[in-house]
Amino acid sequence: MSTYLINKILYLTDNDADFRKRIKEDPEATLRAFRLSKEEHEALTSGAVGRLYQMGVHTFLLNHLSRYELFGVNRDNYLSRIREGLAYDPRFEQGNMPVQYFVKE
Amino acid sequence: MAKLVLAAGVPHPPRLVRDIAESPGKTKGEALMKQVRLYVEKAEPDVIIEVDSDHFVNFFYNNLPTFCIGMAEEAEGPQEIWCPMPRYVVRGHVPLAKALFRYGVHAKFDMAVAHELRLDHSLVVPLHFLNPAMELPVVPLYTNGFVSPLPLATRCFSLGRMVRRFIEAWDGNERVALVASGSFAMDVGGPLRGWTDTPWVETISRLLVRGQYQALARRATEERIAAAGNNSGELLNWVTVTGAVGNAKPLFVEVDDGYGYAVWETA
Repeated sequence: MSTYLINKILYLTDNDADFRKRIKEDPEATLRAFRLSKEEHEALTSGAVGRLYQMGVHTFLLNHLSRYELFGVNRDNYLSRIREGLAYDPRFEQGNMPVQYFVKE
Repeated sequence: MAKLVLAAGVPHPPRLVRDIAESPGKTKGEALMKQVRLYVEKAEPDVIIEVDSDHFVNFFYNNLPTFCIGMAEEAEGPQEIWCPMPRYVVRGHVPLAKALFRYGVHAKFDMAVAHELRLDHSLVVPLHFLNPAMELPVVPLYTNGFVSPLPLATRCFSLGRMVRRFIEAWDGNERVALVASGSFAMDVGGPLRGWTDTPWVETISRLLVRGQYQALARRATEERIAAAGNNSGELLNWVTVTGAVGNAKPLFVEVDDGYGYAVWETA
């Protein structure tokens, strides 16, 4: 399975103001153009960050879900979601989500 | 003859710009950026070659070069709307970029070239501090520090050596500063977000201080870089710069968490 399209959706969200508006306002219609697999579509629209991570979506791009608060993901739940399904790692204790800035359009 | 008058490396945390605006004089990053800036001023460069890794702003998987020279007459950034800092127009230096492209390809570095650029924070944050008001033109030299397979660090070292040879062979009169943009080790968006691979940061710092640049390039395997977090490939930009400094040891190397700052006098 290719994660190219999910990476592309996240890339466009960060780089294309018109796309960003459309994915926020009408995500279903916007996603229809992408031919995601059922599994990819479900993982993305439910904000299942951990599953997207394990599918191999690039983590720098995945983080845009929290920056732009898409599909229920935000900076408060991003880290716990991406760690879902991973074995406990003591380094998680040092992990925190630093302040991220959002610019209102 | 052109001349490499200074080499340096700095990180590019966008937060630093706002942190300084909100509480001036309080952050280590502000003091270190000022320190590097003083050396840049003293070296009086005419142009900056900035070695950087784009963060999916100028490049994406649809077309992703391993190495690329920016040949735009000017470019704007940072493009990311989440970036809490001023927007700039950065002038390029087309004659230098063109000559470097030709020299590099003839030296068997099959680089890409880009005549239009969308600058991301990683390119602009160092310039905000080191090139205020953007008075100096800038030639971006991009390495792929983000998408596997990364270029070998040993290859990046050779790239830096080539850049040095180019500068000394080029018939311009420019005084050139070479700046690496990037952290030593960091993760943005991965499960280890917030953790810093301190042993790796200390290793990098120690090897830089001792001038053991080839040893650093050999140890900076993709596997080691990946273990330090998804942004840790930015180290390749540092390795590239060490390829250009010859036997010079850094005047200083300072570490702030996963971020490194260093300056080399090369004149």
